[in-house]
Amino acid sequence: MPASSRIHADHLPGLYQRAAERFESLPAFATRQKNGLWNPVSFRELYERGRLIGQGLIALGVQAQESVGVFSDNRVEWALADVGIQSCAAVNTPRGVDLTDEELVHIVTHSGMKRAFVETPRMARRVLDLQDRLPHLTQLIQLDATKPALEGVKSMEELESLGLRRLEKGSDELEARISAIQPEDLFTLIYTSGTTGTPKGVMLTHANIMSQVEHVPIQLSCTDRVLSILPIWHILERMLEVYTISHGTCTYYTSARFLGDDLKQVEPTFMGSAPRLWESLRHRILKTVQRKHPVRRGLFHLALFLATHYREAVFVLRGQDLRVNRIPPVWLGICKLRAALQWAVLLPWYGFFNAAVLETVRQSAGGSLKATISGGGALPPEIDRFFNAIGIQVLEGYGLTETSPVVAVRTPERLVRGTVGPMIPNTDLRIVELESGRILFPNADLPHAGRGLKGEVQIRGPQVMKGYRKDEEATASVLDKDGWFRTGDLGMMTFNETLKLLGRSKATIVLRNGENVEPEPIEMRLKLSPLIAECVVVGQDAKHIGALILPDLEACREAGLTASSLPELIQRPDLRDRILSEIHDAMNAPADFKRYEVVQDIRFLEQPLEVGTELTNLFKLKRHVIQDRYAGFIHEMKGEG
Amino acid sequence: MIDPELQLLYPIDKALLAVMILVIMFGMGASLTPNDFKGVLKRPRLILIGFVSQFGFMPLIALGLSLALNLPPAASIAMILVGCLPGGSTSNLFAYFARGHVALSISMTTASTVMALVMTPILIHLYSQPFTQKIAEELGADTAFVMPTKDILVSLIVVLVPVCGGLILRRVSKGWAKVAEDTAGFMGMIVIVYLIITTIGRHWRLVLSTPWQIYVASIALGLMGFLFGYHVSRLLGAHPIQQRAISLETGIQNAPVAFSIILLSFPEFALQNDMLWTAILYALFIVVSSSCITLWLRKHGQFDWEVYRNTLIHTRLFGSDWQTRYPKGFLPSRIEKDPSQGALKGDVQRQDG
Repeated sequence: MPASSRIHADHLPGLYQRAAERFESLPAFATRQKNGLWNPVSFRELYERGRLIGQGLIALGVQAQESVGVFSDNRVEWALADVGIQSCAAVNTPRGVDLTDEELVHIVTHSGMKRAFVETPRMARRVLDLQDRLPHLTQLIQLDATKPALEGVKSMEELESLGLRRLEKGSDELEARISAIQPEDLFTLIYTSGTTGTPKGVMLTHANIMSQVEHVPIQLSCTDRVLSILPIWHILERMLEVYTISHGTCTYYTSARFLGDDLKQVEPTFMGSAPRLWESLRHRILKTVQRKHPVRRGLFHLALFLATHYREAVFVLRGQDLRVNRIPPVWLGICKLRAALQWAVLLPWYGFFNAAVLETVRQSAGGSLKATISGGGALPPEIDRFFNAIGIQVLEGYGLTETSPVVAVRTPERLVRGTVGPMIPNTDLRIVELESGRILFPNADLPHAGRGLKGEVQIRGPQVMKGYRKDEEATASVLDKDGWFRTGDLGMMTFNETLKLLGRSKATIVLRNGENVEPEPIEMRLKLSPLIAECVVVGQDAKHIGALILPDLEACREAGLTASSLPELIQRPDLRDRILSEIHDAMNAPADFKRYEVVQDIRFLEQPLEVGTELTNLFKLKRHVIQDRYAGFIHEMKGEG
Repeated sequence: MIDPELQLLYPIDKALLAVMILVIMFGMGASLTPNDFKGVLKRPRLILIGFVSQFGFMPLIALGLSLALNLPPAASIAMILVGCLPGGSTSNLFAYFARGHVALSISMTTASTVMALVMTPILIHLYSQPFTQKIAEELGADTAFVMPTKDILVSLIVVLVPVCGGLILRRVSKGWAKVAEDTAGFMGMIVIVYLIITTIGRHWRLVLSTPWQIYVASIALGLMGFLFGYHVSRLLGAHPIQQRAISLETGIQNAPVAFSIILLSFPEFALQNDMLWTAILYALFIVVSSSCITLWLRKHGQFDWEVYRNTLIHTRLFGSDWQTRYPKGFLPSRIEKDPSQGALKGDVQRQDG
């Protein structure tokens, strides 16, 4: 029955225009003000002001498909600047203000950027201080209207009046540019936050983003409220904002500091976020419960227990339980029968406790959340289970900046925990064996067409990027001529048609907070210590980096840690502290490692790594093998906290 | 007629029931704030609609069902007793989940509980007239059975004492009042489940021997209350979210009060068991039927509710001058001009369950 309010377009400027025509005075974005009220920007205002900014950019000399920088964190002016950049067919090249000077210089010079928006006078000062290294960057525009702009930096107001003058002269260049936009034209150039090596510029097209708007299965309408906390230059947030605009939904900007309050004020119906947010939300809920009257605390845990088991039964009945192996029909029947019994017994109790206890828990997240989407890292299973039990659906999705970003996402109907859901429409998946390059799924010659087999996830679809800017070698290494994109992630197809991820085939470790860590430089540094013979840095999806260490028996003996054999050495109680202090010394040089790159936890290997199983013939680490073998330790690190 | 010697409730059950009534009524008082009383005065028209449904229709529905199904006299009197009672505080919880007007539900419960002191004894006296003679015949007594109206009034007052106690507690300590309120909710749930399981477990023969008419009547009383409340309030000009609250308020009666009146006012009465049994059946079925109705109302009213809620939050965040205008054709004509989608500004505060 709910009326659909969505609109369709071929490119972003067209979308903004239709949104203005259809949604007019409805709010598109809102930000919190000091007096407790919020400041809305309507779809009409977004469009009109955005066009003026576009005119202003043309007046400044911005060409079609030219990179325009936006160095800012979330704010409404970001969205206005984006509409402006899109309206003159230029390419939004965004980054948050936390980037390093080196990254800034690289992004500006590599993209050939001549004009850039900066958030604050402080950011403008940073860029101006680097002017010697940025000879082509000629004009800065400041987004924050509350502070006076530095000399030579334009304010948004100035830019808009520049545009207005152009408009009054009757220039039709803006219209001409918009109608000339091709689906393969770029709308953004995103430099990925690589830690070592230079960041690569991911080129995404209008066709890429519009395909996401068409195919991502999220139910939204004019009556929904989306609370935004991810950085806006993150592709997931970016896509969600375009998505909300196409549905007439208002995005409310919040921040970690105000999140608790804003959840209650805005009562969001939808949120997108990284796993970290769900973790802290769960922590907050449990902390509130801890402070409650013992009777109420007990009731909460009873409710959680009932809900967990009730949902478990529902999962089995709906075929939404994780199936990595084929289950014989008879056994499946027995499982379903058992689940039906469990369901029937728990239903009345669950019904009562859900209404009386869990509803108040949901209130702490505003009380109106229909669903939430989690991306940008794996969601820890206990967090997943917790939110499902209390009745907030967490739709975990999978994607990369290179895939704009959504490749697969759970839907309320296909909410299979432990997976990232089914592929979105129009997206092809194949699973390829790493060593041989053989296609494992879909492969009719293998049992069950290759379901349940592990390999690299490769994607083909309208969301796959055009390539890396000015880097054909890197582009060719991930994108083949048939359009298949190598994600570098390991995964498998489950028996109920959902994608399960199993780690990364590339070495890069992504921590739970989204930071990328390249393990090799750390390992090289650690191996400089004589006490460390071998080491493997791990930490995918964990809170911090950990290492598997093989101590050097001889060197340890010389250092006073005498032992006759390796197992005996590992048993020594003083070894751990000694090695940790070695690591601390080795990684102490502040310029070389970031704080999150420092190894926090270690385990000892009881035998050297073996060539053939854990090492390749060239003594390179087979990280996925090691990851499997020491899954226990990695799991322990994830659970810490 | 159920054997008067049958121990429908064991002494321990009766003790538990007494404690439960005490705790529930105390919790109800503890949950009420001065605002809830002011709320009654703030919306007299809606309260009047509620009053008409509660004390006008419900007793009539009870009487009609008793006559139409030709119920035994004791069951008829129990039906009428249940029909003449005020609303229970559980209706507030159901109103919340049915996306109804919670503040209105609370106001109606408050108003009907106070008014019950006058209305319930009068209405019972009035509507039980057709059955008093029959009771005398069934019992083989010479004189007509006289309704213990004075005793009913006294039991009502006795039941309302803990409500006043709760009100006082609320003034003294908010924290303890909250605990009392919560305890009441769970206590009610647990004791009702206990009573249902033990009485039905012990008296399963009774379950089989009870005539179908009594089952139909005890189910239909609540259901017809929902139906009348829903449609009559609409005719009298209530908006959808108010309709949902009034509907549930009408159908859900304060069953614990029924138990205490039956136990306190009809102590030596040979038909006490019959009355109690009918009341127990009503209490059992009302939990199930109001859950179903709530789920239905919740689903049915989902879209209206989202529109209403969004409009309300816009006004809260963007200031009272803000006007939310949805695109043409987005709102169905049913709610396009309905003031409940925005005109209730400031009327509904944040609902905290």
